[in-house]
Amino acid sequence: MNDENFVQVKNLRKVYENGHEAIKDVSFSVKKGDLVCLLGPSGCGKTTIFNMLAGLLTPTSGDILFDGKSVVKTAPKDRQIGYVFQNYALYPHMTVLQNVMFPLTVGKNKRPKAEAEKVARKYMNLTQIDEFADQKPDQLSGGQQQRVAIARALVQEPKILLMDEPLSNLDARLRLKIREEIRSLVKKVGITTLFVTHDQEEALSIGDKIILFNDGVIQQDDLGQNLYSEPNNYFVANFVGNPVIDNFSVEVKDGKVTGSDFEIAVSDLKQDRFKHELKDGKYVLSVRPENILPAESGNVKVTIQDIELIGRERILKFNHDGIQARSLVDLETPIKAGDNINLKMRLDRIFIFTPEGERVY
Amino acid sequence: MKKIRWGRLFAYLILTFFAIITVFPFIYMILGGLMSFQETTTIPPTIIPKNPQWGNYASVFAQAPFARYFLNTFITASVTTIVSLFNAILGAFAMVNLRFKGKNFVQIVLLSLLMVPGEAIIFTNYNTVAKMGLLNTYLGLVLPFLTSIFYMYYLQSYFGAISRTIYKAAKIDGASDWEYIWKILVPMSRGGLFTVGLLSFISGWNSFLWPLLVTNEDSMRLLNNGLTNFASDAGSETQLQLAAATLTVLPILVLYFIFRKQIIRGVVRNDLKG
Repeated sequence: MNDENFVQVKNLRKVYENGHEAIKDVSFSVKKGDLVCLLGPSGCGKTTIFNMLAGLLTPTSGDILFDGKSVVKTAPKDRQIGYVFQNYALYPHMTVLQNVMFPLTVGKNKRPKAEAEKVARKYMNLTQIDEFADQKPDQLSGGQQQRVAIARALVQEPKILLMDEPLSNLDARLRLKIREEIRSLVKKVGITTLFVTHDQEEALSIGDKIILFNDGVIQQDDLGQNLYSEPNNYFVANFVGNPVIDNFSVEVKDGKVTGSDFEIAVSDLKQDRFKHELKDGKYVLSVRPENILPAESGNVKVTIQDIELIGRERILKFNHDGIQARSLVDLETPIKAGDNINLKMRLDRIFIFTPEGERVY
Repeated sequence: MKKIRWGRLFAYLILTFFAIITVFPFIYMILGGLMSFQETTTIPPTIIPKNPQWGNYASVFAQAPFARYFLNTFITASVTTIVSLFNAILGAFAMVNLRFKGKNFVQIVLLSLLMVPGEAIIFTNYNTVAKMGLLNTYLGLVLPFLTSIFYMYYLQSYFGAISRTIYKAAKIDGASDWEYIWKILVPMSRGGLFTVGLLSFISGWNSFLWPLLVTNEDSMRLLNNGLTNFASDAGSETQLQLAAATLTVLPILVLYFIFRKQIIRGVVRNDLKG
């Protein structure tokens, strides 16, 4: 029925008692069975939204609907959600089995012990933690604890799974492995999942869709690739992408975009990419490092200061107009530190933002 | 050749000196309980009894109802411990996990009550208990000690150390506050609860002033009052007094020896006596 808007957040606002407005008018929706990432820097309000979704915090105004029904006045335990905490929040005095069974041994979900154990075992099997059933959480590695937390969240067979930075306590290699596991697991179970992270790479790899937050507002609610290739504003362009985007201060005057040592005719830009009219004045021109490449005909003259190797590609670092910028080239490109080269931008891939961060091109 | 560390030697000397001063009365009490009357009164004093007089203990039990005192003390100490622990758990849980209006105010009021010494309100309590007709009853003996702000405050520091997300997780898992307390909070704080329970039991066992006020029948006396009473009744029989004193402190000494780690940890933790 409400599959398209299985989770719906409408004009949500949260002002803390100390007057801090953590969430300012946020609206979004999530499709049934999707895995959606809430992405943003620390302190952007992701966890506040999550706590409101879970019912651990009451919104100041706005509404939250699960499957078409408002849950703002529903207690956490009655919202049919599973929650995986950043620090897992496993009960240290219980064994793995007891931890996973716990939701089925309390409150109105209480079931006979044998039945609870059967359900718990099913999810422990799914998360591959059967063999640790009788161990205590502190005997497990971070990755194993993570799986216990997921099994415990799933055991109540919730409609929605909320995961709050579940990978941030794991080391880099394990993180890659577990995030693939999480994605395939939630897809297998078919549960609608919201996933909070501050790691863009994690969000891009795991999410069906990404909602990028900053300052308590949604900056962009879109597919991962669109966040990268068609950012809504300056913040999105700079937050997403590694290596980070290059930004050049430019001025638009007499039909030309003028940087400190380059010029682009406005007529050379692709007309259908303009979001607004490009009036005369100061702007920021941004270009992803893979879209500004060495070329004889290039009009940006730079001296390469340093070269960083990242696997099969190299980052040429240079200083332009006092700002560090980058160009991403193949491993084979025969350029050394100290070389003077010309760089050429792909004009159909550059972005132009107003100083306030609004995208114009 | 090893250098003599004078500072260290001096420290050990002082420690030994104070250890002897502290422990000697205990040792003498135990030894004296086994002496004959002559040995306890000779000058110079005897330290080691020639023939241990185990019969002294039989005489003590024969001359005063010490078994009854033991029972009374055990009952009051246990009841106070269990009930005050129960109340302290609920109170500390509320202060740590619940949000309610005026929480800070309640906290401040409770803390300031903690500053009032028990002796200052003992006569008000006596009047209340007397008017309720509870003199010479078990209820009268335990009533003022069934809640303890100190223990509640003490447990707050234990409960506060448990990550808040554990509480949130339990709520999402569907547990009520009551279930959270008994299935998660209490099992996770066993160490702290044990220490509080032990301190409470010991102070119940050692209580003196209150039971002295609210009881005057021999059948309701606690050990300490029984002992005082016995000391005046038994008059000059010093060896029996010492034996009775040994009896009184023995259970507590045993508790100390078994659980000294927990007791020391508990006392050090708050720089306060239980």
